[in-house]
Amino acid sequence: MRRTGAALRRTLGAAACATLAVSFLAACGGDSGKPTLNWYINPDGQETLTQLAEDCSTDDYDIAIQLLPASATDQRTQLARRLAAGDSSTDLMSLDPVFVPEFANADWLLTFEDDLADQALDDVLDGPADIVQWNDQVVAVPQWANTQVLWYRKSLAEAAGLDMSQPVTWDQVIDAAADQGGTVGVQANRYEAYVVWINAMIQGAGGNILDPDTVEDGRDAKVTIDSQAGKDAAAVIQKLVDSGAAQPDLSTSNEGTSLGRMFPSEGPGSFMVNWTFVYSNYKGLIGQPGGPADDEAFEDLGWVRYPQTVEGEDSKPPIGGIEIGVGAFTEHPDFAREAALCVASPEAQTALAVNDGFAPTRESVYDSPELAEAFPADLLELLRDSIDEAGPRPKSAFYSQISNAIQSRWHPPSSVNPDTTPERSAAFLKAVLRGEALL
Amino acid sequence: MRNDTLSRIGTALGLALIVIWCLLPVAWIVSLSFKSQEAVTNGSPGFFPSGGGGAGWQNYVDVVKDDQFRQAIFNSIGICLIATALSVVIATLTAYAVARLEFKGKKFVLTTALVIAMFPVVSLVGPLFDMWRTFGIYDTWAGLIIPYMSFTLPLAIWTLSAFFREIPWEMEQAAQVDGATAWQAFRRVIVPLAAPGVFTAAILTFFFAWNDFVFGISLTSTERARPIPAALSFFVGDDPFNRPASLLAAGAVVATVPIVLLVLFFQRKIVAGLTAGAVKG
Amino acid sequence: MTTTAETSTKPRREARTSDKSRAENRLAIKLVAPAIALMLLVTAFPMLRALYLSMFDYTLTAPDDRTFVGFQNYLTALSDQLFWRDTANTVFIMVVTVFFELVIGFAFAMVMHKLIFARGLVRTSILIPYGIITVVSGFAWQFAFSNTNGFVNNWIPFMNTDFNWFGDYWSAMAAIMVSEIWKTTPFMALLLLAGLAQVPEDMLEAAKVDGASWWQRLWRVILPNMRAAIMVAVLFRALDAYRIFDNIFVMTNGAQGTESISFLTYRQVIEQFQLGIGSALSVLLFLSVLVVAFGIVKLFRVDLSAARQG
Repeated sequence: MRRTGAALRRTLGAAACATLAVSFLAACGGDSGKPTLNWYINPDGQETLTQLAEDCSTDDYDIAIQLLPASATDQRTQLARRLAAGDSSTDLMSLDPVFVPEFANADWLLTFEDDLADQALDDVLDGPADIVQWNDQVVAVPQWANTQVLWYRKSLAEAAGLDMSQPVTWDQVIDAAADQGGTVGVQANRYEAYVVWINAMIQGAGGNILDPDTVEDGRDAKVTIDSQAGKDAAAVIQKLVDSGAAQPDLSTSNEGTSLGRMFPSEGPGSFMVNWTFVYSNYKGLIGQPGGPADDEAFEDLGWVRYPQTVEGEDSKPPIGGIEIGVGAFTEHPDFAREAALCVASPEAQTALAVNDGFAPTRESVYDSPELAEAFPADLLELLRDSIDEAGPRPKSAFYSQISNAIQSRWHPPSSVNPDTTPERSAAFLKAVLRGEALL
Repeated sequence: MRNDTLSRIGTALGLALIVIWCLLPVAWIVSLSFKSQEAVTNGSPGFFPSGGGGAGWQNYVDVVKDDQFRQAIFNSIGICLIATALSVVIATLTAYAVARLEFKGKKFVLTTALVIAMFPVVSLVGPLFDMWRTFGIYDTWAGLIIPYMSFTLPLAIWTLSAFFREIPWEMEQAAQVDGATAWQAFRRVIVPLAAPGVFTAAILTFFFAWNDFVFGISLTSTERARPIPAALSFFVGDDPFNRPASLLAAGAVVATVPIVLLVLFFQRKIVAGLTAGAVKG
Repeated sequence: MTTTAETSTKPRREARTSDKSRAENRLAIKLVAPAIALMLLVTAFPMLRALYLSMFDYTLTAPDDRTFVGFQNYLTALSDQLFWRDTANTVFIMVVTVFFELVIGFAFAMVMHKLIFARGLVRTSILIPYGIITVVSGFAWQFAFSNTNGFVNNWIPFMNTDFNWFGDYWSAMAAIMVSEIWKTTPFMALLLLAGLAQVPEDMLEAAKVDGASWWQRLWRVILPNMRAAIMVAVLFRALDAYRIFDNIFVMTNGAQGTESISFLTYRQVIEQFQLGIGSALSVLLFLSVLVVAFGIVKLFRVDLSAARQG
């Protein structure tokens, strides 16, 4: 009954407030008169975020954490449904980069103006800074950035004779793993991260899913996936599927499924493209099942830049992370903006990096002593460079449809064929954007 | 004689098969709920938790400590009980009319109930979402109670009218002839006869509401009203990238406890209710 | 309940004048009104709204771009192979699951009919799958078939323990159907058990005396007498299976082409916020359920009024 009670109280409260508005204006707005801002967060890094919410609560307001589901698709659905319903209790939101254009386009995000905009973008790396701008306005604050690197077992690369000091290609990685009985971990379930992989490989070959010059035109964007770059990306997927290096659950693999195959009880381990949390993850698992057996084994974990699709062409690592948006229907827009800036402050970013392995978006944080202590210097440098030179996913208000269209034509990985998949997916994507095909 | 023994052995064998069929997956989910989360992340195939992969009661402790899950249980119990109570009251009125009275719209009532029972609920969630956000009952208990009521009504109406048809209503008159007042006759004779039917309808209605998933995920978006099935499907543990299988299993077991209790105590009534319409065909 | 009391106290032998029947009519309408209103509020009204919205190109994330397109959404849906693939999937699931449920459920019913001991145990066991949440059943089977944490691969002889059931269409469909069949066979069995009870014992005895074999008795006596019960069970289960959604949502989320028509509709409306074409799909889904229901009733000549007492 507590919940309905609360809802009823709110309704009654609102009515009471309306009638008493003239005389007791200040008294309306919460039980104690102190408003609570709801902050919808992703499950990753819950503990640090809860602490941040507490630290950023002030004498004027409290911040309460609301947990979103784990998958990006579900997060988007939950938030968008609330916003479409004009929900005034959605104050702060942790947004995946790809939601930003769609939400901004639907006028669901409050903008940050002038001074606040400067604070939001102060010292922020180019990759994340670009993500939070829509129609020349700042619509969110980058809180942390995510990127993928190639994690691997040094012993496995060495046994295969692969020189990891030079940029490596997907071909080399797959061959090396297959030769040694190792595996290559990717994300190829039918979900968002599969598109992350495909997009990164296409961009790494110098192409794009949608033409970057017209991508912001929404339905009128030009589809460019049917290109040599698209074919190159498809060829990598096909090669992995046909090689002995594919993991048995390839077509249902996600960021978590391949973690256990890095330090298996038998076998040489794996190469794996995965997000930045991997370092903290294995560090915390030393001596436990699924993790490195001891410190020595942990030393065997290596990291280099995302593999190249085409030899000699710089790879474009994926970029992800979290941007803090303020809901358009909040009753406390100024408080919410202030809180958004607070939970994305350099101190907050330091805490997220140290506790959870989330890479900062503000450049200066990379030089802080806390990070230097928590991460090896070369890893920090690799993360910063990867984020700065990352290849974003199409910045379109229709991204969710674009992503779904790609998933539908490129999944399962075993069906991918360089000669047909890019072409078929281009035709389908065009039809989807025109609203002429079901997803 | 020999034939008899054979058939008895066959029946016993069939009995064993039925019990295994019904309970194996339940046993499995219970067993899974005792695997430790680490073991599950790193892969621990097999029916039982193996060598060091057991978790004891840890998963249950974690589940019960989880605010979202607790809230979901609370939501589900509250929403389902309210929906059940209201639905059964309304259905009782309708069933009484259907069973006892002659009236013009009877066919319409029964056809409507039949159509609703066959209705593809998914085709409603879009417009309902649109309506609920206009009415402001999106993501509230009321937003779920209303559709649960409408979709449990057909089942409740059928079950109840089948029961009501069996009630010897003339006993009421008999009691009155014996000097009881109308109210006494109703209370002492009809209520005891009708009560089991009403109760059975309530259990079936509760099952139905407890099981709902489509409305649960479509018409809620926070723990404010999200019921258990939806909460389970969105359940996240400490590791955002792996579905916390064993934790989920523990949650699933907790969500199944009310069902098992109802079944244990009222199995006879439930079976009677489920087949009420069909038996007397 | 007081209304009930009042009506039943009316002198019974009173002649059925038109006055009385009119009063009865009025009372009945009052009694059924709340139920009818509620059922229509949640179905008919939204359905009309869906009909209206289906004429528009309307996305929730771009509400200002709403344009009237007439029947274009229906044309798009009906000419899309995804729609037909998902419809085919749904029909496939419906046919296979109902078939297995019928066969297994009948076997269960026969056993239960013969049972003279442990009836409570069987009833309890059989009601648990019936009562269990479909999502839980989906999870249980998903984890059971999982190649990292499940037991199915270990229990099937000569099975590669790494086999990924959710890695391709046929095996993923099989897993989904197993979860559906497991959960719903008990319901089928109970309805069939009720039907078995209607088979007149004396007819069976007579057939036995005439030397009919068990098989002959089954086909000549038992099944014909159970016709109504079987058909109603099939109709209800088939329509339920046609709306399959929960298991697919938790087990594959539609991957490997395992989407059902309900799932497709859900995704358009709730995930993609395509209220226009999503509403068109909602209408088509509703119509297709009617077609399936009508088809089954006609095909098997189900007499609904007989079985559910009209």
